[in-house]
Amino acid sequence: MESSSGGSTPKRHSRHGSSGRALPRRSTRGPLDINESPISPSSGPTTPSTLTHNPSSLLSPTASQYATPRIPSPAIGSNLSNITSPSFRTARTTLSPSRSTLSTNSQKDFTFLLRPEIYHPLTLLDVPPPFRVASTQPDPSSPLEDLIAQGHLRSAAIKAAQLLTSPGLNTSDHEQIFNLIYTRLSCLTLCNQTTLASQEVKALEDLNSGYYRNDHDGTHLVPWELRVLAVRLQGMGFNDARRGIMGYYDLAREARLTLTGLKKKRKVGAEGDENGKLGDDIKMWETRLEELGIRVAGALIEMEDLEGATRFLATFKPSSDEKRQELEVRKALLWLCLGDVEAARKCISALSTNGEQDHERKVILALAHTADSDFDSAVEVWEELVASEGLEKGEMAMCKQNLGVCLLYLGKMDEARKILETLTDERNSFHALTFNLSTIYELCTERSRALKIGLAEKVAGMQEEDGKKVGWEKVNGDFKL
Amino acid sequence: MAHQRGGSTVEAVKEPHSVSLKVLRLSRPSLSVQHPLPLPTPGASPPDSPNTFPASSESLAYPSAKNDAFILSPLLTLPPAFGSAYVGETFSCTLCANNEVLPGSVSAKVISNVRIEAEMKIPSSSTPISLILVPQTEKEEEAEKGKEHGVDLEPGQSLQKVVNFDLKEEGSHVLAVTVTYSETTATSGRIRTFRKLYQFVCKGCMVVRTKTGALPSMGEKGRRWALEAQLENCGEETITLDMVVLETKEGFKSQGINWEIIGEGEQMDRPVLMPGDVQQVCFLVEEVIDDEGSGPEPTDGRLVFGILSLGWRGPMGNRGFLSTGALGARLK
Repeated sequence: MESSSGGSTPKRHSRHGSSGRALPRRSTRGPLDINESPISPSSGPTTPSTLTHNPSSLLSPTASQYATPRIPSPAIGSNLSNITSPSFRTARTTLSPSRSTLSTNSQKDFTFLLRPEIYHPLTLLDVPPPFRVASTQPDPSSPLEDLIAQGHLRSAAIKAAQLLTSPGLNTSDHEQIFNLIYTRLSCLTLCNQTTLASQEVKALEDLNSGYYRNDHDGTHLVPWELRVLAVRLQGMGFNDARRGIMGYYDLAREARLTLTGLKKKRKVGAEGDENGKLGDDIKMWETRLEELGIRVAGALIEMEDLEGATRFLATFKPSSDEKRQELEVRKALLWLCLGDVEAARKCISALSTNGEQDHERKVILALAHTADSDFDSAVEVWEELVASEGLEKGEMAMCKQNLGVCLLYLGKMDEARKILETLTDERNSFHALTFNLSTIYELCTERSRALKIGLAEKVAGMQEEDGKKVGWEKVNGDFKL
Repeated sequence: MAHQRGGSTVEAVKEPHSVSLKVLRLSRPSLSVQHPLPLPTPGASPPDSPNTFPASSESLAYPSAKNDAFILSPLLTLPPAFGSAYVGETFSCTLCANNEVLPGSVSAKVISNVRIEAEMKIPSSSTPISLILVPQTEKEEEAEKGKEHGVDLEPGQSLQKVVNFDLKEEGSHVLAVTVTYSETTATSGRIRTFRKLYQFVCKGCMVVRTKTGALPSMGEKGRRWALEAQLENCGEETITLDMVVLETKEGFKSQGINWEIIGEGEQMDRPVLMPGDVQQVCFLVEEVIDDEGSGPEPTDGRLVFGILSLGWRGPMGNRGFLSTGALGARLK
C-alpha cells in the first residue's frame, strides 16, 4: 500500500484522506516506514515531506469531515444584512413611501433559502434493515400531503427539500417556501435527524430581521410554527442554548404586544360582528404565549439547569383551575427529575381524587414510589391505573409500559416482557417501548439480535397495514441495533 | 457493565455453556424526554391550507391526547448505560441466567437446578462479600436448608435475580457472579459452572470540609462552638441535599442553622448542587452541663462533638448517604 500510494503526491493524501484510510497507515508506522525509505529516493524530494506531513494529514481530513462544506457561507449572511436595514419598517416607509407602496410581498426574493447546498442528503445508515425494504417505501412521486398523512416523514423531508430546490418554485412565493421549510425541518426532527435540521435552520439567519416582514403592515411572513421551531434548532445549530431562551423571549414579547393591541381593540371597538374573531385571536395569542413559557422551561431543562427551571415554573400564574393542575403535574415531573421526591408529592396534594385528575395524581404518585425505589408500591399504583376505567388509550399504553419497567426491577422479567410485547401487539411503537423491550431481549438471551430484528420487523409491518399513521420513523437506536 | 473481565471458566470445558449470564445495572429509570413540535394554533389555519405540517402529536414520547409542549413526560425508560457509581449510593444490578438451548434442538439437553451466586470485592478487603439475591422463589425458600436446589429452566427461559449493595468505598469494585447448573442429556448428566467478573470504579460524590470555632459563652451555660462545613458536589450529576444532621455524642447538643429554618409562609427550599457546587452549612454546638456542674471531658486535648450525617437525592430520586468521621474542637 505504501509503495503504490507513496508515488502519488502528498497533496492527494490531505485532500482525500478519510479516517478510514488514515488509520491503517498509522498502525503500520515503524517497520514499514523504514522499509519505505529505500524506495523513497525514486519518488524524489517529495517523499520526506510525505512523512512529515503525515501527522497533519491524519488530523485535517477528519476535522473537515465534521465541518461540512455545506454550512452556509458567510457571504450570504452579509448579503442578507445588506438587504435589511436595521430599523426596518419605519425607516423604509418614511424614507421612500412611494417605493413601499409599490413593493408587495411577492417582490421579496427568498432565493437564499433555496440553494441546494443547504439541504443535506439523508442516508439510510441509521435506519434498521426492516424499514429499508423497498415495499415499505412510498412512491416517490406521491404528493407531500399524502406522505405526511401516511406517516412517511423521512420521505416527506426528502420531498420537501426536492420541492424547495426545484427550478419551478417561485422564489418570492414566501408562503409556499416557508411551509416547505417547516415541513422539512419538522420531519427531520421526527426522523432523529435533529442535528441535520439544526444545521439547515441556520440558513434562515435572523428571523427577527425586517426582511421577513411585510413592508406594508409589518406582519411576519414566516408562519408562527416555523418561528417557534427555529428557536430551538438555531440554538443547537449555533451551539448556544441561551440563544434558544432569548429566542422564546423575543417571540413572547411579540405575543404580548399583539395581545395588548388586540385587547385594546376589543375595548375600543364596538361590540359588533368583529368581536367573535377578535376573541378567537386573543385566545390564540394567549395560548401561544403560554406555550412559549413552557418551552422556556423546557429549554432550561435541556441545558441541564433544572433548578433554574423549577424557579421559572414557580413564577407562572395560571389563569384557570385546570391550567393550575396542569402546571402542578409539570412541576412534579421536574421535581422528580431533580430528585426532590417530597416536593413532587407536595405538587399533587392539591389534585382532586376523582376523574382524570385522579389519574394524573396517581401517575405522579407511582413515579414518586419509583423514585423512592419502592417498586412494590409503584407496581400497585400502576396496576390500579391499568385496571381503572376511563383512561385514554395513549395514557393506558404509558401506564402499562411503566408497569412493565417497574416489574423488571422486582425480578419479574417474564411478566414485564409479556406486557411490553402485548403493547406492541396493540400497535404501539413509541421509542421508550421498543427501547425497553430491546433491553429486556438483551437480558434474556445471547441471541438478542434476532429478537430485536424481529421487533423491528413487527414495527415496520405496522406501517403498511392500513396505510395510515401507525409506525413512526425508526432508527437503529430505537431497537438497540 | 463498565468493564467485564474475561470470564474465567472454572471447569476446563471447551463446549460452550448451555446457560448464559446477562447483567444490567438497575439505576433508576428515567423520564422520557420529548421535543414537541409547535402546537397547532386553534382555528388559525384556514381549512383549505395544504396539510403538509406533521401533527405535533407525532413528536410526543407516547401517543398522548394531551399534546403538552412540556419536555418531560411520565414515560419511564430503562437506564441506557452503566453510568457512574458513587460512594454513598446503593448499587443495584439484575442478573439473568438464561437457558440458551434452542427449542427442539437435536441435543435435547435438559437444564435444571440453575443457581446464581454473587459476591462483591471491595478495595479495602481481600475477602469478597457475598450478596443476597432477590426475589427468592418458593422452591429456593424450601431448599434453603439443603442449599441444593436451584431452578429448572425450559429452553428460552430465564432466572432473574436482583442484587443491592451499598457503596462505601472509593476505588475498584468487582462483582463476581457464579452460575451453576445441571446439564442432562439422554445418555449423560453433569454439573457445570462458570464465573463472570464485572469491574467498575466507585467515585466520591461528596467532599466534606469542616471547621470549628469557639463562640463566647453565655454566662453559666457552658462553652459553645460553631461547626461549619462545606459540602462539595464533586460528582457529575446534580443532587438535592435531603438532610444534614450533626449527630452529637453525650454531653453535647447541637442545632442546625440551615435551610430547614424557614419563616412563616415560606417553603423549604432544599439546596440543589450542580456538579462543582459547594453548600455551606453551620451548626451551633453547646456543651451540656450535668447536675454536678461538669461538662464533657476532653481526650488528648480534643473534644469530640459527634459525626455529621448527610443524605442527598440524585437524578430521579437516587439516594445517597454519608457520615463523616468524628468531629470536634481542639482545646488550647
